[in-house]
Amino acid sequence: METWRLVDIEYSNDPFMNLAVEEAIPRMVGERKAPTTVRFWHNSNTIVIGCFQSAKLEVNMEACKETGTKIVRRFTGGGAVYHDSGNLNYAISLPKGHRLVPDQNLQSVFQKLSEGTVEGLRKLGVRAEFQPVNDIQVDGKKVSGAAGSIRWNSVFHHGCILVNSDLSILGRVLNVPRVKLEDRHVASVQKRVTTVRDELGRDISTSEVRDAIVGGIETCYGVRVESGVLMKEEVGLAEELYQTKYSLLEWNLEP
Amino acid sequence: MDRSSDYKALGGKLVRVRLKEEKGLIQSVKITGDFFLVPEESLVKLEKMLEDAPLREQELRLLVDRFFQATRAQGLGVSSDDFVKAILLARGES
Repeated sequence: METWRLVDIEYSNDPFMNLAVEEAIPRMVGERKAPTTVRFWHNSNTIVIGCFQSAKLEVNMEACKETGTKIVRRFTGGGAVYHDSGNLNYAISLPKGHRLVPDQNLQSVFQKLSEGTVEGLRKLGVRAEFQPVNDIQVDGKKVSGAAGSIRWNSVFHHGCILVNSDLSILGRVLNVPRVKLEDRHVASVQKRVTTVRDELGRDISTSEVRDAIVGGIETCYGVRVESGVLMKEEVGLAEELYQTKYSLLEWNLEP
Repeated sequence: MDRSSDYKALGGKLVRVRLKEEKGLIQSVKITGDFFLVPEESLVKLEKMLEDAPLREQELRLLVDRFFQATRAQGLGVSSDDFVKAILLARGES
């Protein structure tokens, strides 16, 4: 049976380093220096914007200052998301050509690599469903959003799951253009998202959700997930990416 | 003259265009949004290709189609047609 590496490395107070590690892993997987990897991690109080987004347009800078929210740009497309300690992030890095995603189609990648998360959430009792393009929803409300890329000779998919996040801050720090909300018939971003806690009607930790997703991944993909650590070369690459990219205002806030 | 548009693509993603226009020609253009485009670096190429292009549908459509053919870029939540419509919306017509 195929074995995937599981890493829980995180810098919860340094979102810039978190994103540097996020990029280092698929690069090393693509070079075949690291094995297929699943990573779980948290950020505290951070907006993560998509690589094509304008920070100035998408983010309420004043609200970020008031709430101490940091802003970091990721290397994948998609929309802005708010991360706090109640938000669980997961990332899957596969070598290009992997049997699960043979056709290099980004929509298929999102669908296939969301299946483990959907299965994990269902095991917990959440009626989760994948909703194209890149969401996992419960009764029409988004509980998780995903993004990904096919590059560096790897296939990469990551997502964030609202486990017990503070949705009131989310509504303040993100600017959602009116045109974006029109067809959803809801007045705010806060009303079109939900949390695992709210769906279950009980308190739940991100570690319980993590364990369920690990189980979901093993079931859906027929793999064994084993705890591991980052290699020295991966850590070195992450530190380099931190210095040259993710810690820089030019990367995070321009345009 | 500065022009802008926020255009919602058929797939639900947002394409936001900010461009400078002079006598019907695009001087510079910045395309942002929550769409997916692989390879990601290709968007800069599209912006570059659009410089000095007339703000007219036929020419824009040819350019954007040529971009997708030349780069083999893969859009998700956004299509060639969406980019054209977003740019035309910035001019004041869709």
